[in-house]
This record gives sequence, structure tokens and C-alpha cells, in this order.
Amino acid sequence: MAGRNTLRQRGLKLWRLGESLEGLGLFLPAGLLLLVFTLWPAVQAVLLSFQDEDPFGRGRVFAGLANYAELLKDPHFRQSVLLTLRFALVVAFLEVALGLAAALLLQYPVPGIALFRTVFFMTTAVSTAVAAIAWGWFLHPVGGLLNRLLEGMGLPPQGWLTTPQWALYSLAVATAWQAIGFNAILLTAGLQDIPDELYEAARIDGATGPVILWRITLPLLSPVLFFVGVLALVRGFTAFGQIHLLTRGGPSESTTVWIYRVYQEAFFNFRFTYAAAEAVLLFLLLVLLTGVQFRILGRRVFYG
Amino acid sequence: MRRVVRLAPLYLALLAYSALVLVPLLALFSASFKTAGEVFEPQLIPQSPTLENYRIALEKFPLGRFLLNSLLVSLAVALGQVVTSALAGYALARVRLPGKRFLFGGVVALLLVPGEVTFLPLYETVSRLGWLDSYAALIVPFLATPLGIFLLRQFFLTLPQDLFDAARIDGAGHLRMLWHVALPLARPALGALGALSFLSAWNMYLWPLVVTRSTQMQTVQIGVNMILNEEAARWNVVAAGAILALLPTLLAFLVAQRQFVRGIALGGLKG
Repeated sequence: MAGRNTLRQRGLKLWRLGESLEGLGLFLPAGLLLLVFTLWPAVQAVLLSFQDEDPFGRGRVFAGLANYAELLKDPHFRQSVLLTLRFALVVAFLEVALGLAAALLLQYPVPGIALFRTVFFMTTAVSTAVAAIAWGWFLHPVGGLLNRLLEGMGLPPQGWLTTPQWALYSLAVATAWQAIGFNAILLTAGLQDIPDELYEAARIDGATGPVILWRITLPLLSPVLFFVGVLALVRGFTAFGQIHLLTRGGPSESTTVWIYRVYQEAFFNFRFTYAAAEAVLLFLLLVLLTGVQFRILGRRVFYG
Repeated sequence: MRRVVRLAPLYLALLAYSALVLVPLLALFSASFKTAGEVFEPQLIPQSPTLENYRIALEKFPLGRFLLNSLLVSLAVALGQVVTSALAGYALARVRLPGKRFLFGGVVALLLVPGEVTFLPLYETVSRLGWLDSYAALIVPFLATPLGIFLLRQFFLTLPQDLFDAARIDGAGHLRMLWHVALPLARPALGALGALSFLSAWNMYLWPLVVTRSTQMQTVQIGVNMILNEEAARWNVVAAGAILALLPTLLAFLVAQRQFVRGIALGGLKG
């Protein structure tokens, strides 16, 4: 009896070992790829940021916090951080506002709504580069539709992408425009998750449109709105393509955002380790942002 | 009639919003058919429409090659991500595996790491491997994604255990259960993930910009940048190039709108 039991236990153990190996084998392709191409580079970025190029060309040497100390004193970096914050906040505000408007407009099952939905969602198919070209043309100083409209109304045309006071905001509009489809999809899905009974109950109680919007729709949609806002901030903090295409960081560094500086330092000034320090600081900010998001969403925003 | 009056403001708002979405694209589309003499005129409908800009764009720039590169890279990345995510997601959801919570925690932690931070060391790795200016550089680093693993794990967790028990009684191992039970049920989720992966690969800009050198290897996003640089004086040609770069994803979106929408809605669930 005892013998058969241990035999069965041993069999079970062997079988479990087999299952573990099977599971490990299934996890391995993704696990290895992530290890080599995501985790290790992230660690390396931190290591790089503590190093400096050896002036005698003998590779890199440990430099402690020298890069970070230099960054804190670098007025170009400081200015670029401020620019990036402003850019990200404008992008996030525009994205949440435009996304909410889209979702609210699409919520009524009126004839032809499917067509409007397709149009609103369409910018998901527009790549960053194409969006940048479309807006580059729309804002073109001579041929652009916007300036032609302004002229038609007797207003002076503006250099939307060529003057420091406009360029950053023009890029923010292009960035938010490209995300309309993405945000409209997320917020439409969020609206559909609000139970109909709540609306019916409110209507029976005599609530009107604005009250329903303010008391039911917005509070219940707030987790999704918040999520969209955080994603928009991240998009704002890491926007690169549209800036590279349209302004190259100019005019006079007015659009040299954080990630653009990382690119410039690494590939034009060949200061790889200095660029790595900039990238690591950006990473910390993004982790902080996502961490806050997890904390707050964990607490369910709409009761907050 | 009363219904029409009541709905008029809604339709006006819907039309105004549609204009916001469509006008920049329509202006670009219109410019791409305009002659050099007409391109700075404001009317949307070209007076003497021409295909000349498309001819110049296609003759001067290897747009076909750019598009082919983008298509190849995006398809390979999407396929790779779906496969690796399905395998790993299944392992984390349904296999008795020691250290599973640790592995899953690692995957979730990697969700936080943006490509904008890893691209410098990754560039050095890829260059050391001799992959600069090759498809390998554009594809291999992106064959696995923490988001995909996370999404498919969550999906596989929702499948009823009975299905797997039944298969197990029939003597099926995990590979067979994955293939015959889990994957057929996951088809919509796989399609959604595939669409999402395809889009994000198609959209890559910074990475192909730094790892490609020759026009042979450049993707269409970088090609658009090249056209803008060389043709900034001829916006009608730039417009034609951009429209050609837009068409494949626009068509894919119109054909597979449901997958795209589901993919994005699903990706949004990660919060």
C-alpha cells in the first residue's frame, strides 16, 4: 500500500516537473526576447548614464553622477524640460477634450452614425509622419488653409511652425489630432460600459441632459478619462516624429523637447552617455506618472 | 419632421467634428492633384487635376520599396508578437509553473519601460550584432511585447476550466490544449492584438530613423521625411508621397475597422 502511494507521488512529481518544463518552454521565446531587447537595454541605459567617454579614446570610464550634475546645470536641458512639460500638458488637455467630445457625439444611435464613427476613428490609420505632413501643409505659411482662412477674415497670416511663440502649440495640435481616433475608441467603449438603468432612473427622477452629463456620465467615465489623460501625457512626453519632420527642434530651440535632445546629444554631438542620463531622467518621470495612474485607478476615480 | 429639427444640432456638431478630422487630410489629398501653379490656391477641388505629382514622387523616390519594407516589418512584428504573446500568456494563465507570479510581475514591470528610454543601448547592441541597416534590426527587438502577454494572459484566464479538464481527460498536453482549445476561442483577441501590433510597428519613427542608412532599408515613415527634405519647395509632390504612405493603413482600417477598434479598446484595458 505504502509503496504504491510513494510511487504515485513520484509519478505526480514527475508529471508536475514535466508540466513546469512545458510551461517554461512556452514562456521562453517571449521571456528571452524581452530580457535581451527590453530589460537589459533598460539596465544598460542606467549604467551608461554613470559613465563618460574617455578623452583618450580608451572606451568609457565610470564617472559617477557627473552627467547628472552637468545636466542640472545645463540651461538648454532645463529649458527643454519646461518646454516638454508645457507641450505634454497642452497635448493631454486637447486629447481629453477632443476625445470626450467625440465620444459624447457618437453615443446616440441616430441614422448615419456608423459613418461618423468611421470618420472619427479614422485617425488611428494615420501615421505620425503622415499626420505631420497633413498639418505641415494645413499650417503652411503661404499655401496653408488656415492662413488663407485668416486672410479671408481680414486677419494677418501667422508662421505657425516658423515662429517660436506658435511652433510648440502647432505641434501639440497635430499630436492631439492624430490621437482623436484612439481616444474616441477608448471613451466610446467607456461610455458603453455605463449601465442603461442609471440613465433611466435619472430620467424618471426628472434629470435633464446637462444634469445627467454632470452627475452620471462624467463621474462614471472618469477612470477612462483619467486613463486617456495619462496616455496623452506619455504621448506628449515622448513625441518625436512630428517634431523631427516639421521643426527639427526649432525655431531657436522652441520645440527642442526632451526626447529630441536625447536624439541630438547621442547622434549629433556623439555624447552617448550624456544622452543616456537625459533618457533615464525622462524614464523616471514616466514611471512616476504611470505609478500615480496605477495608484489612483486602483482607488476608483469616480468615488474620489 | 419634428425629429429632424430635434436632431439638427447633433448632426451639425457631428459634421463640424468630421470637418476637424477630414479637412487636413482633404487639403493634403487635394494638393496632391494640383499643378505647381495651382498648389497655393485655396480651393479644395483642383481646376486642372494632374497625376504628375504621383509620377514624380514614384520616380524620384523608391516609394514602392519603402512601402514594402514597412509592410514586411509590420507583418513580421505583428505575427511574432501574436505568437510569442499567445505562448507566454497561456503559460502564465493555465500552466502550473513555479515562479509564475514572479514572471508575471516582471512582464507587468516591463510595461513601464518605453522604447524612448531603451533605444540608445539597444542601438549599440544592434550595432554590435552587425544588424544596422537590416531587417533584423527593424524586426527582432520587437518580436515580444509585455502588453500582448498581459492581454492574452487576462483573456486565457477567463476561459472556463471545464474545457481544459475535458481535453486533459482525452489525454491532451498543454500544446494541444493551447492549439485546439484556447487559440480557437481567442481568435478575436488575437486579431485585435495583431491589428494593434501592426499599427504600432507601422508607426515606428525614431527607431528606423537611427538604425537604417540606405534607402533600401528605410520604412515609409522615414521615406516621407526624405521626400519632405528634398521637395520642400514642391508641396504638391510631398502631398502625393504622403497620400501614398497613408493609403495602405487607411484601406486596412476601412476593411478591418472592427479589429482595429477592438485592438485599441483592448489595449486600453491595460490600465
